[in-house]
Amino acid sequence: MSAIFEMESVSKTYGKGHVAVNAVDHASMKIEPGEIVLIMGPSGSGKTTLLSMAGLLLKPTEGRLLIDGEAINGKSESQIADLRLHTLGFIFQAYNLLSALNARENVEIVMNMAGKRGKAASQRATDILDKLGLGNRKHHLPADLSGGEKQRVAIARALANDPQLVLADEPTGNLDSKTGEEVMELFCHGMGREQGRSMIIVTHNPEFERIADRVLWLEDGHLSNGNGRRQH
Amino acid sequence: MLKLAWRNLTNEPTRMAISVTGIALALVLILVIAGIFAGSEEFAVAYIKNEPAPIWLMQSGVSNMHMSSSYIAPELITEAEQIVGVKDITGVLYSGGNLESGEDSILGYIIGVDPQAEIGGPWKLVEGRQNPERDEIVIDAELAKRLGVELGDNLSLYDQDHEIIGLSRGNFGIGSSLAFVNKQTLSEWMAVQPDAASFALVRPEVGFDVDGLAARMQSELPDLNVMQQAEFAASDKELIRQMGVDIIRAMNIIAYIVGLLVIGLTIYTATLERAREYGMLKALGANNARLAIVVLGQALISAALGILLGVGVAYGVATLITKVSPDMLILIDPAYVLNQVPIMAVVTGLAALLPASRIANLDPAIAFKA
Repeated sequence: MSAIFEMESVSKTYGKGHVAVNAVDHASMKIEPGEIVLIMGPSGSGKTTLLSMAGLLLKPTEGRLLIDGEAINGKSESQIADLRLHTLGFIFQAYNLLSALNARENVEIVMNMAGKRGKAASQRATDILDKLGLGNRKHHLPADLSGGEKQRVAIARALANDPQLVLADEPTGNLDSKTGEEVMELFCHGMGREQGRSMIIVTHNPEFERIADRVLWLEDGHLSNGNGRRQH
Repeated sequence: MLKLAWRNLTNEPTRMAISVTGIALALVLILVIAGIFAGSEEFAVAYIKNEPAPIWLMQSGVSNMHMSSSYIAPELITEAEQIVGVKDITGVLYSGGNLESGEDSILGYIIGVDPQAEIGGPWKLVEGRQNPERDEIVIDAELAKRLGVELGDNLSLYDQDHEIIGLSRGNFGIGSSLAFVNKQTLSEWMAVQPDAASFALVRPEVGFDVDGLAARMQSELPDLNVMQQAEFAASDKELIRQMGVDIIRAMNIIAYIVGLLVIGLTIYTATLERAREYGMLKALGANNARLAIVVLGQALISAALGILLGVGVAYGVATLITKVSPDMLILIDPAYVLNQVPIMAVVTGLAALLPASRIANLDPAIAFKA
């Protein structure tokens, strides 16, 4: 089975000359279909930069990214945006819901962007929200939802276009421990791992280790893969 | 994406109200000013349009009543009367003069009419009689109100008192007040022969083709200019329009800039406040064109609502002003309103450019920043 995502000796350097900072230094990883990979590390270690590159939001200074075996280098901005839309799902720490749209519309909009419209899109958004336990909250605006509910809407949105890879940045970072547990449960069951969906989760929360297939450790821009467990 | 544009707007009703009101005010300014000029044009040609004379004669080289001086010698009028198809010709004298009552004074256009003539005088008399003898005058009822005079009172014209013997309607507007005096008297003031005329109003025999008669009169009277009523009114209207066109253009440009700034600033600040949301949409896969649709959609929805409100308010203002001050006719031409729609759409598009370019430069990685 081929990897859904590959990062080959990828580096990201900010600034030039003597003020240059290597945020990520020759990082490599390979994500298999259905695999959940955790990236952990101290604050300022380059996790967000790494995730941004994995999410095709940031161009590496060096190295190569491949999605489903296809290199990203050389693709246009529009082609990359299309790949993000159809292949990747994003879950952000701050939820990043559109404040003017209700829960269902927040899920629906990414399907609309991907060309799915009308009742079919609306029904799928409703189905996903029902599955995540938000059936009775779908008409509420984000301002009227709790943190846990917002994160579940964000998860629903990430799943809307049935992506092969979901990238999550501190998905429980803004939640209390009980709600965090519930959200983690969704990552374990309900996000389609069994259908071959892969996940890269950046987190400080060690509880995620129990659902991860592998844990990678990032420190000072160096990504280590010591037997699937962290080195520190 | 248009749904998001609409929701972004309705989610912030105050900002939406500012944006819509700004557009509406700009449009009210454009329509009312244009309406005032259109109304004054209409008043200016009211005499030509309301006199029952399909053909008008004037001095060769003259094609306007306003801002021109015309003289037709008595023998030319007699010659014109001999042309087959002409029923009768009424000569009127035309001059400017100050209508004074006490301290109040209004510059008017004075028409000298023969008291025996069937046409050439006020076309809508509301009180008194309409054929002024020596030292008598007919003025518009609104002008009388403005000067604080009534039927039987005296007005001073050319330093001579004139008794108001009739009050008419429709001949008093901005920059265009008509008063009717005795032709003999006006000829003395103008120092011309009493049978001479500034303009001559021609009525054809019943059944005669007006076009053919006008053409024949022109060929037989080379020293005169022969114009048909509609042509003469249009020519005068065009002159008035040209006099006001620069003012209208300047006011329109100001109004467009006001509209541009109001939409531009409200959409721009709204875009800045939602920069993170737009960045997130970019991260999820929205391209710049899709996001530009959201911004342009917001601007166009604001503009559409502003146009609807503006047109409604402009018609309301026009009706109210005309009711309160009948001399101020504000004519809002629906065609002119329709012309404003594409212009406002372009203005709106320009206003959306800055916020759209701001979004185009947004880094989608902003979505991962806490």
